[in-house]
Amino acid sequence: MLMNTSLKEWKGKIRPDGPGKVTGGIKYLTDLTFPNMLYGKILRSSEPHAEIVSISTDLARKLPGVRAVVTYKDVPGLNGYGIIFPDQPVLCKDKVRYVGDALAAVAADTEEIAEKALGLIEVNYRRLPVIDSTEKALEPGAPLLHPDGNILHRAGYSIGNVEDGFQKSFVIIEETYDVPRQMHAYMETEGGVIVPEPGGKITVYAGTQHGFKDRFQLSRILNIPEKDIRIVSSPMGGSFGGKDELNIQPYGALLALAANCPVKIHQSRQESVKAGLKRHPMKITVKTGADKNGKILAHKVKIIADTGAYATLGPAILDFAVEHVSGPYKIPNMETEGLSVFTNNGVAGEFRGFGGNQITFALEGQMDRLAEKLQIDYLEFRRLNLREAEDPGPLGQRIAPTNGATHVLEAIQKSFFKRADLRNEKGDLNERWKARGTGAAITMHGGGLGAGRMDPAGGRLSFTKDGKIAAAFGFEECGQGLLSVIETILLEEFNCLDKDISIVIGDTDLVPVSGSSTASRATSMVWHSLQKMKDSFRSQMIDLAELATGTPANRMEMGPGGIWLKDAQQSGEAYLSFADLASALVQDRSISVQTSFDFPVSPDATVAGSHFLYAFAAVIVEVEVDILTGRVKVTGMEQAVSAGPVVSPMGYRGQIEGGGAMALGYTLMEHSIIEKGIYLNDNFDTYLIPTIFDVPFEMITEAVEELYEGDEFGPRGVGEIGTVAVAPAIAQAIYNATGCWINKLPVSPELILEKVSFMEGDKWM
Amino acid sequence: MDVKKVIMATPSPQPVKIELELEVNGFHRQLTVAPAARLVDLLREDLELTGTKFSCEVGRCGTCAVHMDNKLVNSCLVMAYQANGTSICTIEGLAERSLDPIQSAFLEEGGFQCGYCTPGMIMAVKALLNYHANPTEEQIKEGLSGNLCRCTGYGGIIRAVQRAIKNLNENEIEGAVGWKK
Repeated sequence: MLMNTSLKEWKGKIRPDGPGKVTGGIKYLTDLTFPNMLYGKILRSSEPHAEIVSISTDLARKLPGVRAVVTYKDVPGLNGYGIIFPDQPVLCKDKVRYVGDALAAVAADTEEIAEKALGLIEVNYRRLPVIDSTEKALEPGAPLLHPDGNILHRAGYSIGNVEDGFQKSFVIIEETYDVPRQMHAYMETEGGVIVPEPGGKITVYAGTQHGFKDRFQLSRILNIPEKDIRIVSSPMGGSFGGKDELNIQPYGALLALAANCPVKIHQSRQESVKAGLKRHPMKITVKTGADKNGKILAHKVKIIADTGAYATLGPAILDFAVEHVSGPYKIPNMETEGLSVFTNNGVAGEFRGFGGNQITFALEGQMDRLAEKLQIDYLEFRRLNLREAEDPGPLGQRIAPTNGATHVLEAIQKSFFKRADLRNEKGDLNERWKARGTGAAITMHGGGLGAGRMDPAGGRLSFTKDGKIAAAFGFEECGQGLLSVIETILLEEFNCLDKDISIVIGDTDLVPVSGSSTASRATSMVWHSLQKMKDSFRSQMIDLAELATGTPANRMEMGPGGIWLKDAQQSGEAYLSFADLASALVQDRSISVQTSFDFPVSPDATVAGSHFLYAFAAVIVEVEVDILTGRVKVTGMEQAVSAGPVVSPMGYRGQIEGGGAMALGYTLMEHSIIEKGIYLNDNFDTYLIPTIFDVPFEMITEAVEELYEGDEFGPRGVGEIGTVAVAPAIAQAIYNATGCWINKLPVSPELILEKVSFMEGDKWM
Repeated sequence: MDVKKVIMATPSPQPVKIELELEVNGFHRQLTVAPAARLVDLLREDLELTGTKFSCEVGRCGTCAVHMDNKLVNSCLVMAYQANGTSICTIEGLAERSLDPIQSAFLEEGGFQCGYCTPGMIMAVKALLNYHANPTEEQIKEGLSGNLCRCTGYGGIIRAVQRAIKNLNENEIEGAVGWKK
């Protein structure tokens, strides 16, 4: 991995959760068992859209070994959930709107008995017409999926006058881009154990990306005060946005309270596919015009997102897509209209990239087509329209000044020429049925939840009685390496050893509110929190050392293993060990620093959700297209990322490479197909994600760490940025290899064959 | 249109159990399990060896991979009776006094993120290096093609395999060959 700064020694160290993960010793929440634990199963709808005539659980209740059966009648509080608004029934009463809708749940002595009991629950449905496309949902007179109609959310933005811009344009490109429903495909399906505790309390051991939000939602459903609910949410076997919303928690909790026993639910892959969130399929119609010199004059965009049956974060995702319509480019005249539409097609929701991936595919596709028409090099065309450091953000809002766009474009431009040289040297381009091409794309991606949204952050540092520097954050470890991030920043700030610190995350009883582990915000917010806490913590530690030793505070500093004398020779040993310092913590004296603040937002944002801090990425790929089979193989991928200083190089590189591979899947193979409201590919035998054969054997990540002068916002998160610009880069490479423009994902071999034989089959004969 | 499901409650037959004997991570085990139990159930439920995971249960993802008589198998596809009389090695049996060099390489190169595919992946690497001490790129891809990882994009895993090969070769030169059972 290329980086601008030199690595400090500790930055190469292994992850704190590593040993448990490579030995199998770490317990995921789905690995837990408790005494008297029961197994829970959820009955999901067999119909994508129907009225419920009756639900009969009598036979199921009589089955030996069944300990509890719950339906809508057993929900003590609000029978609904959803992060933005709770429109999804926990247990359906009169209507089902997708095949994941829950009707009943059973707890039994074994999973087999629970499964059998589900089969004994009799549900009578009256089928309703299935709204299986956004077109159908928007037809006049279409059946209404929700009382307010079939439009979940409208969003738009306009500036200047697009018609005027088009009139002045020399070239205009009009295209519709069609992007698929992608599955998160975390290896650990949703699950965990819910344990009833004395005094009507419960503990929920289940993965989520925002423990406090789960606590809030469960409190509403169960009618239990939030303080009586404890959420333990780490570690997780992957999430990528998919476990942000509630999944099995309410069912486990209702069953555990009904049976007064711990209840474990661990969904099978098929159950996970049926019930779980997916990335929004979108149809994006774009018209873009540019003048003779390559300046974009007008950009008109219409986005139609299939949000499925319920809201979850659908509105915010559409807002995000609308915000990123123009990406890192300056466009004087724009008009964007977005619609998020209810259908009976599963539930679409939060997924790494959050609407950015879809809109970037469309935007960068337009850039490529315009450059081609204008006969301008496609990277040069991007440079001509690129934002400058102090330009306003894409919604006209003030943003933290940044040269990120220029930096990543320059980095990828250098690499592009390098690669072109390499190819010429190899001279193997004429292999008869293989077409090779290179493509690149860039993007700009907002971090945090955005203006006008509750986006609290915070953390706590304390010094424990056993001499540890304890850091507590309300974040979750989904696999992204957050523990490593916290450890690295602590070691850096306090110059201590890893054995001197202890880290607590993902347990609402033990941690302060830090907000969600989403929107590429956790790394950034850990860094901000420690900046706010470190001076106070350090001076309290030194004051305590002064009290304990009588040595003046100004002669001491924190160091490896304890407190060191500043002017002493390198004796190799701390002046006062942390353990000895801890013994000076008498009863009335403790050291604890806590901070709470909000994610930085633009001071003058007028549009809800608009961002202040952005990261940038440029991607270059090489592809090999087999003209006989239509198969596309990505043979090289390089990403340049501008997201401020790197905290953990291994984690950073892992996020970019892993994000790149996930996006490669999105581009070339992944499509969660729903026909008439029913999922067709419900496991990894039919829903294919990239294997080691499908990714380039070597991927390159270049981190541009430089921030704009005076930028005090530190590292930005990189959880999403590596997924955003990969699809358009591959599409461009396919065009360069074959002459086929790609406007639909995933790129299927059939599509390539059809286009190649139709357009220029002769070329290959 | 109304949709009705006809349900007939049949009395459950008396549960039958079968007896098994096998070796797991070097220990002799006698178990009484349901006839339809799978090896993965036996490991996770009866022996509480939860290092072995499951994710697809149709043999596509490799998260449940273990060694049975020194061969890599998906434990979700092995019925418990098929494991009768065999010797099983799971991720928990890999490290003896210290970590297996493959495990160390995964730590050092970031061959994992969420870690859920890691036990199966490491068992697959172990099997690969048992067959080919110096695998080619093609052999590495072939050897790990049955194990899905959603986090790393395989970059860290490939580097971990390469590092493990290097470390093992160096150890062999020094005469420390304790890694091969």
